[in-house]
Amino acid sequence: MSVGSGWSRTAWPAALALAGLVALPGPAPAQERFRRTPPLPDAQRMELRLPPVEIFTMPNGLVVASVRRTESAPESSMATLQLIIRAGEADSPADRPGLATVTARMIGKGTKMLSAEFLENMVESVGGEFSASVFMDYTVLTLKVLNEYIDRGMFILRLMALEAAFSERELAAVRRTSFWRLYESKKDPEVLGWRQLLRSLFETHPYRMATFNEDVIKYITTRDVAAFYGRYYRPGNAAVIVSANIDGPTAAQRIGGHFEAWAGSAPARTAPLAPPQNDRERVCFVEAPEAGAAAVFAGNIIMGSAGPDFYPFLVLKHILGGTTQSRLFMNLREAKGYATFAFSEMEIFGSCGVYWVRAQVRPESVVPAVREILGEIGALAVVPAVPSEIEEAKSYLVGSLPLRFQSREGFDDWLARYVALGLDQAQWDRGPEELKRVDAEKVREVARKYLSAKPVVVIVGRPEWLGPYLGDLEAVEVYDSGGQLKHIRRKGEGR
Amino acid sequence: MNKASKALAVLAVLSFTTLRGAWPQEPQPPAASGLPFSFQDYRLRNGLRVILSEDSRLPLVTVAVGYGAGTLREKPGQEGLAYLLENLMFQGSDNVSPLQHVAFIQKVGGELNATTASDKAFFYETLPSNQLPLALWLESDRMKSLLITRDAIERTRSDLVREYEERAAADPYLETFSQFDELLLPDPLYGRPLMSPGILELGEADIVDFYHTYYVPNNAVLCIVGEFDPARTRELVARYFDSIPPGQDIPYPARPVFRREADAVVRYSRLASAGAGFHMGFRFFPMMPGEINALRLLEGVLLDGETSRLRNRLLRRDLTAGYLTGALDERPSVATLRLFCLATNAILVARSERAILAEIDRIKANPLSPDELVKAKRRFKAAYLERLATSLGKARFLVDAVFAGKDLGALDGEMNGVLGVSAQALAAFTAKYFTPQNRAVLEFGPQ
Repeated sequence: MSVGSGWSRTAWPAALALAGLVALPGPAPAQERFRRTPPLPDAQRMELRLPPVEIFTMPNGLVVASVRRTESAPESSMATLQLIIRAGEADSPADRPGLATVTARMIGKGTKMLSAEFLENMVESVGGEFSASVFMDYTVLTLKVLNEYIDRGMFILRLMALEAAFSERELAAVRRTSFWRLYESKKDPEVLGWRQLLRSLFETHPYRMATFNEDVIKYITTRDVAAFYGRYYRPGNAAVIVSANIDGPTAAQRIGGHFEAWAGSAPARTAPLAPPQNDRERVCFVEAPEAGAAAVFAGNIIMGSAGPDFYPFLVLKHILGGTTQSRLFMNLREAKGYATFAFSEMEIFGSCGVYWVRAQVRPESVVPAVREILGEIGALAVVPAVPSEIEEAKSYLVGSLPLRFQSREGFDDWLARYVALGLDQAQWDRGPEELKRVDAEKVREVARKYLSAKPVVVIVGRPEWLGPYLGDLEAVEVYDSGGQLKHIRRKGEGR
Repeated sequence: MNKASKALAVLAVLSFTTLRGAWPQEPQPPAASGLPFSFQDYRLRNGLRVILSEDSRLPLVTVAVGYGAGTLREKPGQEGLAYLLENLMFQGSDNVSPLQHVAFIQKVGGELNATTASDKAFFYETLPSNQLPLALWLESDRMKSLLITRDAIERTRSDLVREYEERAAADPYLETFSQFDELLLPDPLYGRPLMSPGILELGEADIVDFYHTYYVPNNAVLCIVGEFDPARTRELVARYFDSIPPGQDIPYPARPVFRREADAVVRYSRLASAGAGFHMGFRFFPMMPGEINALRLLEGVLLDGETSRLRNRLLRRDLTAGYLTGALDERPSVATLRLFCLATNAILVARSERAILAEIDRIKANPLSPDELVKAKRRFKAAYLERLATSLGKARFLVDAVFAGKDLGALDGEMNGVLGVSAQALAAFTAKYFTPQNRAVLEFGPQ
């Protein structure tokens, strides 16, 4: 049966004629009652249950985490293998920012015996894809293959990661692509705003290392890469995650077979302490000569992922600016017309996190928009959110949580974070239960704790907007797009 | 059409469907399928096609509705109408205020979106599975009673024009994609752009007429994928959709008539900034049954992965280009393979073009090695399975298949059709279709 069968062109005139014989005109039927109001949900919501994570530790210290995926037959599914290295951009030496990223991108670019092209061909020959992602505290090397070639995939991952060689030629290519990627990203006001916010919040903290520019890439040598690799790419500092249609013990046994000869204990490494929150009025302006609209960021330091504040803050963040129905969007866009959008975000690193508001604002409305954003943040710190807002936020968060796990990428990212940061079960699939336990008092408590301090404000826009549109601000630190402070502009200067 | 004549037409169509078949078809039990999922497929009395596919991994459900209301349904002078209508579908209906559709879905943690293509407009919501009735209520209300007010039209089209201008300002190549579409598909309907500033001139009557003609159950497919009870879901579907009157019968879109069957066309499009490069594309029309399998595999051989023929040649070996992307575009009646290349500099544009043609000629002359063929097939299989990994992916796959006129019962053989293509068949296909007559090139640059 196809739609086409219902669209028969030739049958229509005859049928219409016949219909005319039997049909009599009459009043249009009244609307059915059930259409007038939205229906109630079905009684019981199904619970979110993810397959359990089984953890094994090999004699060489390598952790193997396995999650069995059985949604499809083995021959009709994909397998993901991830090698986690517990070293991220914050671990790059102070004089070599970007080294963690460049090292990760050199994995798969050749071994002593095999070229980068040969390795890429091996990956693609098992229907695979390889990628490297570097976060603040850890690195993830991901290899996706057809499930039927999972053994081959393990072999390839071992080959690429454990026998990596760092040639001048491949490093030059990686430096070139990294340079252009960073250079191009500086055209995006959102990227500029986020980087400046991190720079301002983590001024002397190792997390500032993640805000490097393209100009530092050229200083990285093969010797630097080999040293970083030698220090951190060790079994005692690593985990392999297997997410496939294969049981845990079998996965551990096979990974053990491939990785047992890998030797090296965990390097001496202490997680950085969380920095204090910003608590002084601070407005940064980042010049973006081609910006169409102003990007406004406002944020501060919050808790890390462990501890009881995570889920209450998630609810709070949603009330502030989780969706187009939240306070920021309704105020800045719908009520005042200052912004195209205004949302709140949060990101959690190993030792602390950051919350921030991001808004796209008309240049002439920057100052009133900033005031409204700070007003909304301050209001939540002082006046508790009403119970209906809290319940709506919880309903949204419980409902949307499973969406994260729909795609393989979403599931794999969640799993990598869970393993890399050593999170507890509450962070795996107990989110809905944890959210249901959040009450008004807990939300009030985290609001007082994290929203009372003054956030750093970052505005990204064209230099010529500074005088006419930002003149009313007391003091503005003006930065170029690379994050270099150019000057501090005082109220009333150069209008 | 006035209200009385519209009511008469509705009754006439209802009677017509009654004559055709009085009762909704019984859903068939889930078929054993070579696909990694099964589904049921049936129709309501008003012609609405319904496809149900259970997937209990997560407490989610996707409700997707496709209407045969793509750009191919626009008349001359109506460029942009299909896209405008897609956006008007969020501006309120009898029981849902403007933009409340979005608010209802977001409140329960769901996500939603819509797209317009040449053959259809596609709408979906993915939300917690116990909220399935909400999605069906919302979709049925706008199918039955969209409110097309002057205010909504003005607001929507000015938003669309502004968004388009912002995108064009941010992306110097955006305009060249529309120009290339016209060049590759020289047919008044098939080569037209999705969005046109001409939507500012569209009359209210045309917009209303488009809705009443094409946003009707007998021109639509409702696909539900996720965690649900099949019996309860059939009841809900009948409750919300069965009483929506059908519209007039709609013929399948006309086959294209390409005005130019000539040599390769090369034009030059001046850009205000940015680098030099080109679009290159091949048109496959008409194709014989089964030939699409060779083309799907060939797409991978040429473009999929760092070691694919063209990426390896231009980006790694010759270094004549800094960026190369491309895709197979399957539209009703015609398929195209499109490449977009940014050359390392203006002088290397022609060299990059020659390298692409040389690689294609190599495939014509020397069939692929067994290793390369196997690699392309495994990459194809992985991409095919990835596409079906989410409830939305499955819903889109099924709705696409219906609008492509495919037999859903034969979908399980689709992947194997591609996996069965031989190196000789690939070479023969390449020789047959990759000809200057089927090729178009659009070069662009700052000078």
